[in-house]
Amino acid sequence: MIMESTILENLAEQFSGNSTQEDALKMLKEVGLPHKKSEAYKFTQITSLLEKNIKFESKADDNFTSNKLYQEEGSHLVFINGSLAKEHSNISDKLTMQISEVSEGKHDPFSLLNAAYAKEEIHLESGYNEPVFVYHFNSNGISNPRIKVTVKDGHTFQVVEKLITPENSNTFTNSYIEFAVGKNAFGYHTKVQNYNASTFSHETVIAHVERDSHFYNNTFSFEGGLIRNNLTINLEDENCEGYMYGLFLLDKKSHVDNNTSVDHKMPNSYSNELYKGILDEKSTGVFNGKIYVRQDAQKTNAFQSNNNILLSEDATLHTKPQLEIWADDVKCSHGCTSGQLDEDAIFYLRARGVNEKSAKAMILNAFAGETLEHVKVESVRNEIQSLIDQKLV
Amino acid sequence: MISIKNLQASVEDKEILKGIDLEVKAGEVHAIMGPNGSGKSTLASVLAGREDYDVTGGSVTFQNENLLELSPEERAQKGIFLAFQYPVEIPGVSTTNFLKTALNQVREARGEKALDAVNFLKLMKEKMKLVDIDQALLSRSLNEGFSGGEKKRNEIFQMAMLEPKLSILDETDSGLDIDALKIVADGVNKLKSDQTATIVVTHYQRLLDYIVPDYVHVLYKGRIVKSGDKSLALELEEKGYDWIKEEVAAV
Repeated sequence: MIMESTILENLAEQFSGNSTQEDALKMLKEVGLPHKKSEAYKFTQITSLLEKNIKFESKADDNFTSNKLYQEEGSHLVFINGSLAKEHSNISDKLTMQISEVSEGKHDPFSLLNAAYAKEEIHLESGYNEPVFVYHFNSNGISNPRIKVTVKDGHTFQVVEKLITPENSNTFTNSYIEFAVGKNAFGYHTKVQNYNASTFSHETVIAHVERDSHFYNNTFSFEGGLIRNNLTINLEDENCEGYMYGLFLLDKKSHVDNNTSVDHKMPNSYSNELYKGILDEKSTGVFNGKIYVRQDAQKTNAFQSNNNILLSEDATLHTKPQLEIWADDVKCSHGCTSGQLDEDAIFYLRARGVNEKSAKAMILNAFAGETLEHVKVESVRNEIQSLIDQKLV
Repeated sequence: MISIKNLQASVEDKEILKGIDLEVKAGEVHAIMGPNGSGKSTLASVLAGREDYDVTGGSVTFQNENLLELSPEERAQKGIFLAFQYPVEIPGVSTTNFLKTALNQVREARGEKALDAVNFLKLMKEKMKLVDIDQALLSRSLNEGFSGGEKKRNEIFQMAMLEPKLSILDETDSGLDIDALKIVADGVNKLKSDQTATIVVTHYQRLLDYIVPDYVHVLYKGRIVKSGDKSLALELEEKGYDWIKEEVAAV
């Protein structure tokens, strides 16, 4: 059953795409946006939430402020309501960048929505190990930023992304970023999601990893009306490694849904996923981790864990590991835990003179800290650490 | 230093301490012995402020203050130290890091200035020698993957750092081989002074060869049923606890 969503109706007028985008839109209308019974969105009623909260008209204002930019060497790309704003960006000559029309659309509803309504497609190609910082300043109804990243053979490329929206703006950001990681290369992608109650987002990250290469995704979520992360890592060839690290440290009524999957297609690959959740007040956290091990992917090592601490009786957690294994010589493990703060540990620290608040913060900080290991850019790491500290005070 | 009068405590409505009286003065070492389940560890935990236990009666005065009204951290700040029977493992928190926070919060409460990194490290180096503990161990996650002996040495190291007035050692000797036991006891002895007091809770007499008590008390079924000097510990070692149980039963 396809539900006709008012979202598509509302957006109809804004459509101005090319023929690829027309196809994407057509396909989107066929598959429809997720409805109440959609398994992949079971705990996140995204369509009805968007219908209720988002005003889809365009507004002209933007909320760009340069003080939100990281003080780091590298390229700084500023997107305003889904389009690259060159006048605010600082593009290093080491970065190769092209802007094109939308070139293809994938099959899941929000990727199709992005493909249909994206104003442009930004292609980035790694150069000389310099990081790229991508900022989305969105204050409009709906934004569809679309980025494709190529990490060339033998290169290391670091992309850091964050979204900045004004309070009470009721925006929906439907972002799409796709990585093609060449041979013997390293791709790093870090997201900092510290929004506000009126910010809704659906964020798609797809990586294709070629032979002898590594891809790391780090996703840190602190606040948002609704944040849905769709992360897919395809380990396309032999000897690939995929890493997924995430922290959702939530309070108020924040809702974060991490839907992740890693697909082992060829032999001798490795993946490791670690997501940690700390849920306070009326927040909701969702973790869904899929591991696919295809028939050819012998000698795969795949590990997954999701550990959670609930600090409030009103917080909600849904966690679901999913393993689908067709090969017979593999090592896979998964585990999830959820519980309260360890009272024995708190007492131990208090008995040494540490006050209760500091003791709790110390334990939670240590719990969260493990996810920070692969954030290589110092100012980003510091920012995340200070967001953790602020939340735990 | 500490005066315990008719102390009663229970956990989940089960009465465990049924009226403890104990007076410890500065400079003294008291040993509390007794068979398993007699309430020894409960007494240690209640004194440190563990909230799982309900104090249902009696009083505890520590340096002229009502101890029972204070939170665990306030007790520690005022000079009570509990060396845990089972030190808790805390992943991701190193001994060094947590102890710096602990020491500075204790110092703040005592009206002293916080130690900076250099002076903290200097103090640490000095105290590490006392219990022959390695710096690498202190940089690791607190007690995680430590051997029994390492955990207990870490407890005494923390005690040395925090310089408590009253130290309560809860079964510090359990699970230690004789070499580790000597190191731990040696550390405790070096920290003793006529300004401090020690309560040694133990099941076995062995530790008391190294930390010599001034008084020995036997705890049984939530009461102190016998007190004496160190010869009482030797008698218990020789004869076991059965004669105490019989004596109590005969009363």
